Amino acid sequence: MSSIGTGYDLDVSTYSPDGRLFQIEYANKAVEAAGVAIGLRCSDGVVLAVERMLHSRLLVKGANRRIQSLDDHIGMASAGLLADAKNLGNRGRDEVHNYRDSYDSPITVQILSDRMSGYVQAHTCYGSSRPFGISTLLAGVDNTGPRLFCIEPSGVYYGYHGAAVGKGKALAKTELEKVLAKEGGVTCREGVMEVARIIHLVHDDNKDKEFELEMTWVCAESGGKHKAVPEDLLKEAEAAARAALEEGMEED
Amino acid sequence: MTLLAQSPMSLHDTYAAPVEHRFNPYSENGGTILAIAGADFSVIAGDTRQSEGYSIQTRYARKVFQLTDNAVLATNGFAADGKNFVRRLKQSLEWYQHNHHKQMGLKAIARLIQTMLYGRRFFPYYVYNILGGIEEDGSGAVYSFDPVGSYEREACRAAGAAQALVQPFLDNQIYFKNQQPEPGAEPFVPGRLPLSTVLGLVVDSFTSATERHIEVGDGIEIFIVMAKGRSPESLLDEKLGEGMTIEEVPPVGEGGEERTFLLSGPLKRD
Amino acid sequence: MWGQPMSAYDAFNAHASFPLPMRSAPKAQPVSHTQQPVVTGTSVLGLKFKGGVMLAADNLASYGSLARFRDIQRLHPLGSHCVMAVAGDMADFQWLKRDLGSILREEEALSLTDNHPSLSAANIYNYLSIIFYNRRSKGDPVWNTVLVGGWDEAKKESFLGYVDLLGTTYSSPTLATGYGAHIAQPLLREAFEAKAGLDGKGELPTAEEAEKLLDDCMKVLFYRDARSLNKYQIATITAEGVKISDSKSAKTEWGFAEGLRGYGAQDR
Repeated sequence: MSSIGTGYDLDVSTYSPDGRLFQIEYANKAVEAAGVAIGLRCSDGVVLAVERMLHSRLLVKGANRRIQSLDDHIGMASAGLLADAKNLGNRGRDEVHNYRDSYDSPITVQILSDRMSGYVQAHTCYGSSRPFGISTLLAGVDNTGPRLFCIEPSGVYYGYHGAAVGKGKALAKTELEKVLAKEGGVTCREGVMEVARIIHLVHDDNKDKEFELEMTWVCAESGGKHKAVPEDLLKEAEAAARAALEEGMEED
Repeated sequence: MTLLAQSPMSLHDTYAAPVEHRFNPYSENGGTILAIAGADFSVIAGDTRQSEGYSIQTRYARKVFQLTDNAVLATNGFAADGKNFVRRLKQSLEWYQHNHHKQMGLKAIARLIQTMLYGRRFFPYYVYNILGGIEEDGSGAVYSFDPVGSYEREACRAAGAAQALVQPFLDNQIYFKNQQPEPGAEPFVPGRLPLSTVLGLVVDSFTSATERHIEVGDGIEIFIVMAKGRSPESLLDEKLGEGMTIEEVPPVGEGGEERTFLLSGPLKRD
Repeated sequence: MWGQPMSAYDAFNAHASFPLPMRSAPKAQPVSHTQQPVVTGTSVLGLKFKGGVMLAADNLASYGSLARFRDIQRLHPLGSHCVMAVAGDMADFQWLKRDLGSILREEEALSLTDNHPSLSAANIYNYLSIIFYNRRSKGDPVWNTVLVGGWDEAKKESFLGYVDLLGTTYSSPTLATGYGAHIAQPLLREAFEAKAGLDGKGELPTAEEAEKLLDDCMKVLFYRDARSLNKYQIATITAEGVKISDSKSAKTEWGFAEGLRGYGAQDR
């Protein structure tokens, strides 16, 4: 970003003369600094993955997860401020609960994204609040099939075949495009391998801290529910990812 | 039960509006409890049958509960009220401990129980409580309550289904009613009997009540709270009755010098 | 509140269109509550056996003496290792299913985030007992009698508990509600004690014995309980999880009734 706010960045309810809301752009900075989160819409389901940075060796393994469940069939991964993500996740579970109460049927990922994006957008309208410092991937399988959406700090949301947010998202997106270019798309099992590879690829061993790979999916194998990718499959995917990386280095 | 009784008028009042079937929020689940205070111990006991009408709901439902390291509460009447009353009371006692870094004394617990019961004066807990334990001066004590909180300290008390069977027996054996001391002997003083005698009286009370009352039986649980300095050996060496077992109940808090034991055994199941 | 985003409920209900406004709600009258059951289910049974617990309930929901709904499932699974069997008002039962469903769903969602253990049968039972007791204390009871059966993964033991509209709770290796408490419970206890002993510490009945026993009890109940149906299900909860059987019938014999006055055509 070239400009400094010059007074137009002190709260989110004031536009700059050229029509920008600086607070939202700063929120995007918070997202870009965070470990990458990737979502992939496959032929038979969806896969979510995050690179969870371990900023201390004292942290408990597997704790402070960045992927949450919102409903039986919908998961949410986020990049940015984890506390904001927890708050948005609570709101998401609220919406899911309200929807089921009113209509006695599970919410679709599209409608949930719409409702949650409204909440995110509302935080860009009032001087008393600060925009969410997260980009959120919502993934699930509903009666319309596998769905993947991304909500940005501005409250805008789009549907995707593959999405990446956070540090190194550009490289991740290029890789996702290659994966999705495959004839007939990919299955979730293939997707898990690919996404694990991309996260390891994007991770910068020299600059970044160590990380844990966190992965969930919604597919036939998980019974149509949002579940953690089975331990053995995750191990296999990580091993393959490391092998692919070393192979790539040798070629260079 | 005066609490639940219909006024006799309503049974005959043919001019009344159509009979209104109002939901009756109470039930009566049988069973009997009793407690006896000694000089440096207190014994609190109850049977374990829970019933409704002629049906035995379960042969094992607890109605005597350890509250603190020196207090045990027996509760009898409507089981759901009893269970919830004890739950609330235990919460209060826990908060007291957090706030004051000590457990509430027996006398204070008695007053707390009265406050909680009277708080529901116009929708009472349909529960008869007997509180037993060790007072701050080291003496064994028993407090008995009615459902709306009227209470007093006594040497002994029976309550519940077989109160009418057990209390006269205790009046005779503990308060020495209708007994004369031998000429020239010391006058009787209630609350001074040795533990072994008291345990014998408790077990006899329950076996007799089981014989004569259909709502009493299945099992007996006797809590014994001993004051500091009293050796439990006399208790542990005691020859236990048929099928009876004894165990020490671990302290609720850090554990003072008082110790609590639980003596349990079978009663007839018919 | 000014300067704050709306709550989820307000955002969803922006025009206060729900609940629908009562056109002529008589404000002076006291709130009225469900004070009698309407469509009801009859007794349910529960029994512990070696390695688990079984529950049984027939498929009938009666409207008074009318056998109104003849294909109702009154055994409801709650999570992976728990089932509740429900007698009493079927509307309240449906409400319970909804309420517990949303709690279990939320709990499940949070478990992926926090890795915390899911609700045990004992947890669910305790929750139910609190709901029932609080509602009876409001004078607005949940008009049901519920048996909760489950398998405790941590303790490796079965769970069986009773809770009713008064908030009364108890546990026992054999349980029965309503008519079942009078007719089936003695049969259940007799068979259970014959195997496990009076203290219940012996070998428990096997799954086959338990199912046979429940079959017998359901048959006897069908013979004697005019609000029962000879079409029932059995839920089995073990370490493996929950299994709810298809509906089945007991083989009954009514030949003896021919000699009874009051049976069949009334021309004798």
